[in-house]
Amino acid sequence: MNRFHKYLSIGLLTLSLTACKDDFLERQPPNIILEEQVWNDAKMITSLLANYYDRLPAHTQIDNGWDQFAAYDEAMWSGNNDGPNNIVSYGFERWRLWDYGLIRDINLALESIETKSTALSAAQKSQFSAEFRFLRAFMYFELVKRMGGVPIITKQLIYDFSGNPSSLQFPRNKESEVYDFIATELDAIKNDLGNTGSNTRANKFTAMALKSRAMLYAGSIAKYNNRMGAPISTPGGEVGIPAARAQEYYTKALEASKEVIAGPYQLYRANPNLGENFFEAITKKLNNSEVILAKDFLTAKDKRHSFSYDNIARNIREDNLSSSNVTPVLNLVEAYEYLDGTPGTLKTRTADDKDFIYYDNLSGPFANKDARLYGTVIYPGTSFKGQDVQIQAGVMVWNAASNSYQTIEGNTLGANHTDGRLLTGSSGPQRSQTEVSNTGFYLRKYIDPAPLSSTRGIRSDMWWVRFRLGEVLLNAAEAAFELGQTAEALTYVNRVRERAGFPANSLTSLTLARLQNERRVELAFEDHRVWDLKRWRIAHEIWNGNVTNPDAMMYALYPYRIVRPGDPRDGKYVFVKLLAPRFRAPRLFQMGNYYSSIDQNVINNNPKIVRNPFH
Amino acid sequence: MKSIYFSLLAGVLLLSGCQKDNFDPPSSTITGRVIYDNQPVGVRTNGVQLELWQRGFQLFTKIPVYVSQEGTFSAVVFDGDYKLVRLRGNGPWVDNSDTINVQVRGGAQVDVPVQPYFVIRNPAFQKTGTNITANCTIGQVATGRAIERVTLYVGATQFVDINNNAGSNSLTGAALSDLTKSLAFSAAVPAAVTGKGYCYARLGVKTVGVAEMLYSPVQKITL
Repeated sequence: MNRFHKYLSIGLLTLSLTACKDDFLERQPPNIILEEQVWNDAKMITSLLANYYDRLPAHTQIDNGWDQFAAYDEAMWSGNNDGPNNIVSYGFERWRLWDYGLIRDINLALESIETKSTALSAAQKSQFSAEFRFLRAFMYFELVKRMGGVPIITKQLIYDFSGNPSSLQFPRNKESEVYDFIATELDAIKNDLGNTGSNTRANKFTAMALKSRAMLYAGSIAKYNNRMGAPISTPGGEVGIPAARAQEYYTKALEASKEVIAGPYQLYRANPNLGENFFEAITKKLNNSEVILAKDFLTAKDKRHSFSYDNIARNIREDNLSSSNVTPVLNLVEAYEYLDGTPGTLKTRTADDKDFIYYDNLSGPFANKDARLYGTVIYPGTSFKGQDVQIQAGVMVWNAASNSYQTIEGNTLGANHTDGRLLTGSSGPQRSQTEVSNTGFYLRKYIDPAPLSSTRGIRSDMWWVRFRLGEVLLNAAEAAFELGQTAEALTYVNRVRERAGFPANSLTSLTLARLQNERRVELAFEDHRVWDLKRWRIAHEIWNGNVTNPDAMMYALYPYRIVRPGDPRDGKYVFVKLLAPRFRAPRLFQMGNYYSSIDQNVINNNPKIVRNPFH
Repeated sequence: MKSIYFSLLAGVLLLSGCQKDNFDPPSSTITGRVIYDNQPVGVRTNGVQLELWQRGFQLFTKIPVYVSQEGTFSAVVFDGDYKLVRLRGNGPWVDNSDTINVQVRGGAQVDVPVQPYFVIRNPAFQKTGTNITANCTIGQVATGRAIERVTLYVGATQFVDINNNAGSNSLTGAALSDLTKSLAFSAAVPAAVTGKGYCYARLGVKTVGVAEMLYSPVQKITL
C-alpha cells in the first residue's frame, strides 16, 4: 500500500512537471480545409474544378434528365407509366435555369486565386483562372440559350445588411450582350488554358468549340427570329437579336470552327465496319481522336450512372428490371437517308400500295442505309454485345378464304407460334407491355457494351460527349452556308457524310433543310435537337400539337413473319408502320416556349428583371 | 377485460381527426367572360390563360385561370382583393397590361374586355352532300397585325380547335386579300364522324405572330 502511494505521488509529480506542448489548443483541424490551403495547392484547386465541371447544367444527358430524350421527336417512352408520351404541351418553365450559385462560386474562385494564392506560379494561376472563366462562359451559354439575356455578373456580390438590397439587383443584359460576353471571354482565355491533349478538361480547342456553337446559335437567332411573322423580342433587347448582326455572328462561328478543325482532331475512322465505327466514335474512350470534351465516369471510383441499366434492349438486359425505357421512333429512323442519296423513308408497301414488300430477313428495309443509323439505333435483325436483339411483333397468317392476312401477336415475349417458329420476339415490340420497345427500335448510342454494365450492382461508366469534331464540322458547314460560301460548306458536310458511308462529295448543292437533317441524324441523343429547332425558330411549326401532323406524332415499325405454307412468300418478313400504340399527346411547342419563364421568386426579389414574352 | 376497453378507447381516439388547426377550403367563386362588343370571345380550350394575383402575403405567385372555349372562366378562391391581369402575348387580342381589380366577397362576376385583331362575323355552317360548308366575313378590329389564315375545323366532339379536330379547310394568302367579301369554306366530312350521325364545326382566324386563334362559337351539325 505504502509503495503504491509512493509510485503514485512520484508519477503525479512528474506529470505536473512536464509542460504541455506549446500550441496544444491551436492545432490544424483535420476535417476543415482552410481557404489558404486550397488556393496554394494545385491538387485541391483541381478537385474544385472537378466539382464545377460536374455541376454544369444538363437538359438531356445520360446521367441526368435522360428520360427527356423521349420527350421530343427522337424517341418515345417504353418504360413504366406514360412518361413523356403524354406531354399535352411543353411547360413554359420546362427549360428554366437560373443557377447563379455556380456563377457565384466561380467568381469567388477567380477572386480568391488572385488574393489568397502565394505558392502558385503566375503561369499556374493564369491557367486555373482561364479554366474557371471557361466554365463561367459555358454556364452563361446554358443560361442564354434557355432564358434569353440574363444579368452578367462577374464579381461576387456581398450584402451590406443596410436593409436596402438594390446594390445586388441587376437588370437583365441584352441577349446579344450575353453572346458577346461569351465570345470575348473565350477569346481572352484560349491561349492560357493549357490541358493540351485532354478531352475531359478544357483546352484551347474546347474553348473554340464552345464559341463555334454559341456564335452559331446567336447568328441563327438574329437571322431566323426576324423572319418570323412577328419576331419574339422585348423592347430592351433582353430577348431577340437585331437581324443586322447575323453576318457577324456567323463569321465568328466559322472562324472558331476553323480553328478547331485545324487542330489535332480527326473524325474517328478506326473500325472498317462503318456502323460500329460511328458507335465507337462516340462511345470509345481510349484513343478517341474525335471527342473534344466529355464528362467522364469511372466505375472503379464509384462515378457511374444507370443509363445502360435503364435503356438496354430487353432480351439482352442483365438485370431483372428496367431496360428499354427510351426507344427511338420511326420518325428518327426515316430521317437517315439511303447511301445512294434517296430519302430515308422505309419501303414497306409496293408502289401501288396494294401489297406488302416481302423481305428475306428482318434487316431488309435497312440495307444500304446511312451507317449512322446502325450506330445510333438497334433495328430489327441487328445485334448488340454479340447477341441478337430479337425484334418481331408477330406473324401474319394468310387466310385464303378472305384473301387477306390475319395478324397474330403474342403476349409472351419470345413465344413460338403454332408452327413451332417464333411468334413475338424476346425484345418485342409489344403494343401494351412496359419495359419492352413500343416502337420496334432500341437505343444503341451511349449504351455501354461492357459486360454487366446494365446491372444495378455494377452500372456503367460510359462517358457523355459535350463537344466532338463531327458537330464542329456541321457548325462550320452551317455558318459557311449562311454566309453564302456554299462550296466551303459542302467540303465540311461531305466530310461528315463520307465517314457515314456516303461516297466522296455526296452532296453538290445545299439547303438549310439538308443541314438541319444532317444535324438531326449525326447528333441524335446528344442534346442538340430541341435547341437546334429553337434557334431555327421552327419548333412551333414542327411540333404544332396537331394530331394530323406526322412530325408531331411518334410512329413505330412492327415486323411480322409471313405464315403462308406452300407459297414462296412463306417465312418472309413484312413491315407495318403505325402510330406508336403507347404514344398519347402530339408534341406541342408554343411561342412561349422559345424562352423559358423566369421564376416569380426571382422577379419578386429583383424588380428590375423583365419577364420573357408570352409569360 | 379492462385492457380491451382501453384499446377500444385508444382506437376511437385515433379515428377522430383533429378539427382545430384545419381551415376551410376556398369557397368563393370568381366567374366571368372575356368579351368584345359585349359578346364572349371563343378561344382554344386549355390554351388561353388569365392571371390572378393577390398582394399582401408572403407567397406572391400567380393563380392561372384558363379560359374555356366559349370565352368564360371561373376560379374558386378565398375572399379578398385580387388583381386580374391579361397575360401578354397569350390570347388572340391586343396586349393590354391594365389591371382589373376584383373584390371577392362570397363571389364575384367580372367581364374582361379585350380588343381582338380580327373577329368572325355571321358564321354559318351547313351540310352540303358529303361536305361541311361554312361562310363568314372577317372584321378587322385592331390594326398593326396582318391576317395569316382562316380555317374551318370539323371535329367529332364538342371541343373543336386547331389541336382537336378531325378535318379542316384553310384559306390563306390571296384568298384573304379582300376582307370585305364573304369567305366560303368546304371540308369533307371526316371518316371518323360519318358513323356518328353528327359532328361539330367551328371557324378560327389566325393573326400573324399571335399564337392563339380566335374562334366562332361551336355548332353541332346533324349529318
